[in-house]
This record gives sequence, C-alpha cells and structure tokens, in this order.
Amino acid sequence: MSAVQQRGSLTQVELAGVTGLSPATVSNIVKELTAIGLLHTAPTSRSGRRAQQVTLARNLGLVAGIHFDTRSLRVALSDVAHRIVAEQRMPLAPDHRADAGLERAALLLTEMVESVDASLQEVLAVGVGVPAPVDVRTGLVSTVGILRGWDGVVVPDVLEQRLGIPVYVDNDVNLGALAEVRLGAARGSRDIVYLRVSYGVGGGLIIGGDVFHGRSGIAGEIGHMIMADDGPLCRCGNRGCLETLIGGAVLLAQLQPSHGHLTMRDMITRAKEGDPDCRRVIADAGTHLGRAAANVCNLFDPELVVVGGQLAAAGPLLLDPLRAVLAERVLPSTAGPVDVVEAELGAAAEVRGALSVALDRASIAGALAVTG
Amino acid sequence: MSSPVLSLRGVSKSFGAVRALAHVDLDVRTHEVVAVVGDNGSGKSTLAGVLSGALVPDAGQVELDGRPVTLASPGLARALGIAAVFQDGALCENLDVVENLFLGQEVTAGPLLDEVAMEKEAWSLLNKLAARVPSVRVPVGALTGGQRQAVAIARTLLGDPRVVVLDEPTAALGITQTAEVLNLVERLRDDGHAVVLISSSIVDVQAVADSIVVLRLGRTNGVFDADQVSYEDLIAAMTGATPVGRRTRPARREENVT
Repeated sequence: MSAVQQRGSLTQVELAGVTGLSPATVSNIVKELTAIGLLHTAPTSRSGRRAQQVTLARNLGLVAGIHFDTRSLRVALSDVAHRIVAEQRMPLAPDHRADAGLERAALLLTEMVESVDASLQEVLAVGVGVPAPVDVRTGLVSTVGILRGWDGVVVPDVLEQRLGIPVYVDNDVNLGALAEVRLGAARGSRDIVYLRVSYGVGGGLIIGGDVFHGRSGIAGEIGHMIMADDGPLCRCGNRGCLETLIGGAVLLAQLQPSHGHLTMRDMITRAKEGDPDCRRVIADAGTHLGRAAANVCNLFDPELVVVGGQLAAAGPLLLDPLRAVLAERVLPSTAGPVDVVEAELGAAAEVRGALSVALDRASIAGALAVTG
Repeated sequence: MSSPVLSLRGVSKSFGAVRALAHVDLDVRTHEVVAVVGDNGSGKSTLAGVLSGALVPDAGQVELDGRPVTLASPGLARALGIAAVFQDGALCENLDVVENLFLGQEVTAGPLLDEVAMEKEAWSLLNKLAARVPSVRVPVGALTGGQRQAVAIARTLLGDPRVVVLDEPTAALGITQTAEVLNLVERLRDDGHAVVLISSSIVDVQAVADSIVVLRLGRTNGVFDADQVSYEDLIAAMTGATPVGRRTRPARREENVT
C-alpha cells in the first residue's frame, strides 16, 4: 500500500520487486484492496507483456503542494495517485514577504480547489517548500538572513489557520531531492546528492531513500560551503560561500555591463545560441559547483548527482565542466566516476516533492490501518 | 546595451488646469519590462494614452528608434509597432475568440473570410502566450477575466508589434487570473517584445519588471532597477516621502543621451 502511495502508479510485477513479496501474494493483496475501493487497477503493457497498472483510487482525496522559490510561486493539486489535477505558477517579487506570499498561496490554492469542483475539506494535507533551511518538526524557518521577510516564521501556524488543513514544511531543495529520487531522474537509487542552482544555490541529501535533515534542517546547504576565505560577503554573514560565486544574481551581474538586464532564462537561451560571454559564465559556474560537489561526493559517496534548478536547463554547458572537476577531484573508485545527470522534473521537482510529503503524511482514512 | 526602441523626452500633457503629465522621460528597450507605478491621479493612464497614440502630448517628444515621431492616433501607433491593451480589454462579449482577435483585420480568401487560417493563427498566438483558453469558438463573454486579458493581449500581437503597452492588466482580476497575466508578461518579454506595464500593484510589478518608473503627481519620481529596489523604497517614492528625481541608475541614463 505505502509502496503504491510513494510511487503513484506501478505494475503488479514492479510492486512485487519493490516490496519483495511474491507476485502471487501481491496479486492477492491488490485484489483485496481493489475490492474495498482503495486501489484501482487498469490493464497496461510492460515490455510487451500484459500487466496490471496499480494506482490509488481517486476518491480518496486530494493533496496540495506549494513551492515558494526566490522569484516564483508554484502550487499544484494532485490526487492520491500522484496525478496532478491542477497546477499554477506565479512570478514573485525579489525579496518577497512571508505574509503576502502565504496569503497569495492560500488564495491560489482555494481557487484551484474550486476549479476542479472540490472543496477544501477534500484536501488531506499540504506540503510546502521554502527556499531556506526549515526545522521540519516545527516548520520554523530556522536561519536568519537567508530569506529576508521569512525569518522566524512558523509557516504551518499561518497556513493551517488560514486553510484548516494540516501543513508540512521543508526546505525546497530537500523536496526537489525527494521528488527526483521517487519520481524523477534518480528513481531506484537510495543515496543521492541533489544540487539546485537557480537564483539561490542549494543541495539536498537523500540517504537510504529518505531526506537527511540534520539537527535543524541545515543539512545539505551546499550554497554556503565556503570556497574562498576572503571572498565576497554572503547574505548568511560569511564570506566566500559558493552562492557568492554562482548564485543567479552574481552570474547576471557579471553580464550586466556588456549585456544589460538579463534573467536566468535569457542567459541560458543566449548561451545556447552561442554567446561566448554567457557560455563562459555558465561554464565557470559548472567548475565552481564541481569543486563544492567533489567535497560532498568524497564525504557521502552517492550513487548519483542530480543537478536541478533553472541553470540546469543549460545542460552540457553546465554539466560538462562539473563532470570534469568531479573526475579530477573525487577519489577514484573501482565503480567508476560518479554519474551526473540533469534533473528530470525540471522546475516542477520541488512542488512534486511537496506533494510527496503531503501524501506521506496524509492519513488516508484509515486505509493504512486496514492493510496493517 | 541596446538602445531604446521607444523614448519619451520631457512629455507634458494638461487637461485644462490639470497637469496630468509634466516633463516625463521614459525609455523602453526590447526584451525588457518597464513598469510604471503610481498612486491614483499620478498620470499613469495619461501616459498609457500618450504611448498608444490616443493622446497627443502638449510638449516634449516621442522618439521611435531615436527619431522623433508624432503618434497622432492609435492606428498610426499600431502601424509603427506600438500596441496597447487597455483596462477593459475592449472586447466584444458576444463574438467568439477568433472574431475578436481579427475584428477589423479579418483574413480573407477571395470574397469570403478565411476562417481556417484565422483559427490556426488564433491558436498559434494563444499557444505562444501559453494561454489557457478552452476553445477559440466560445464567446468572449463566457471566459474568465484572465482568459479575456489573454485574448486582448493576443490581439495586440497580431501585427507582431515591438512595443506592447499594458494598462492595469491585473486590476479587478482574481489571484489565478493575475498569475496567468503575470506569466503572459514574462512570456512577452522572453519573445523579445518591449513591454510597458502600467499598474498600481507594486507586488505584481516587482514580480515581472526589469525597471520600475514611479510617477507622482504627473512627474517622474524615481527610476529604479527592479532587482535592487525594495518595496519600502517604492512606497516612499509613490507617496512623496523621498526627494523628487532620485535615480538609481545614473550611469545608464547618461549613456543613452549621447
């Protein structure tokens, strides 16, 4: 049951593989659960053979995911089978504030729920990702200065009062990591490092299939790994953090004198069209990111490094220099160099992760009690 | 640094004793969203009128690619590549999306209307804007506020204008529609249009603008880089709490004068 809940939909054969039960046992369990209306099966084909696609029944409810990024807000609504039923993105002001942002998210979610002819009561849980370290137990934005206007805000308190639905908060990059390992590029891996390079720079560690949070949610903050003792000041109060070298605003500022006011999308588009300055800025970012990632790889020895965030759209322009540095700096292993891949879920990774967390936490009307 | 497509130089406009605009400068470049914010009565709509050719300024110049032009009528402005969407969208509720888009500029095949070509063009325009419209054959009256705004914007794109002027596109819209309109503005910018976004919502403006011009009592009360300026600074400029003429980008302005 929880295997289906985590992966959204899979065939009975895959289900047997994941749970370690025999195909016959799986088939019996699925039949039983379908009879009481918890699962839904549909004929499909897998490697040319007939198979049964197993999903959770739709009428069990909805979950919502909200992702606050540095410059945008994304809200998605899905059924308990991970099928997205509504999704909306909205640009946000730089330096946006918690009160206005949460109010907009709550309004957007309410309108979206109405647009699919549902009511807020049918929403079982809301997962929220914010671009700053979060203490997941309390939902408190646990650092100072990383996300001005959000310091010390207890997100669930505000949203639960507004919506009347349980709210679970995590760092957005951790959610992106979770989504990539469950639904995206790292499906099937257990230990991965997810790097997110956008206006901010962040990292998420997945160990044994779960997000590693650390003491207060700061684990994986690769953006604040110190790269140069006497480097530029960072918003966190330190000097020479990775983010002061490759954060979106820093990259764009390098291009401002020659190219004027660009956005990340502009820079990537121009780099792909062959603009040498934009290519160079992105390649340098790849090299710096590689240096930081090499240290992380030596510490955690992950199966896979997944690179997401807006800059990942630059593809090989960013990843090739990154791979070169990793090959040079990570301890050589008999298993070969660590694989580096582009995130598969793109800009939607974080919101999908938020949906996953909401689903994990949602108690599906005693369903879990039935299966034991 | 590209030079401005459209510039206003010392533009003034009076209605009787009311000076709606006084010596206003504005530069608009391709691939850039310039936002104009201001309180009620600060001259935002008059500025939209001047840019779109609906109003002729009493003094000052309108320059297109550095050459002075006279925008005597909206039609002339359109012909020069400046299209405007006004607050109400100016759509006909009883006509469907295709009819609205091509009203007055229908595509014909011989003596008949070429419906197929128009429908294809309508879809391609709406897809380009990633607009969510259920069908191009529903009357506009049945669409939501955001979808109507999308149709109104799509209509301005017909002649592939270089400058798109949006007057209060998010006023009176719900949050979902506001989100859609802001996404549209980003899309226009990415497609290389110069966009002038006139709005009284600072939050919306900060979300998508590259630079922000604050109008106060018909005068320019500051030109800000949207990435640097804070909400508080904008409020201060709108309400007159900061000295007139504060500029955060002096270097860039001088460059353009030459």
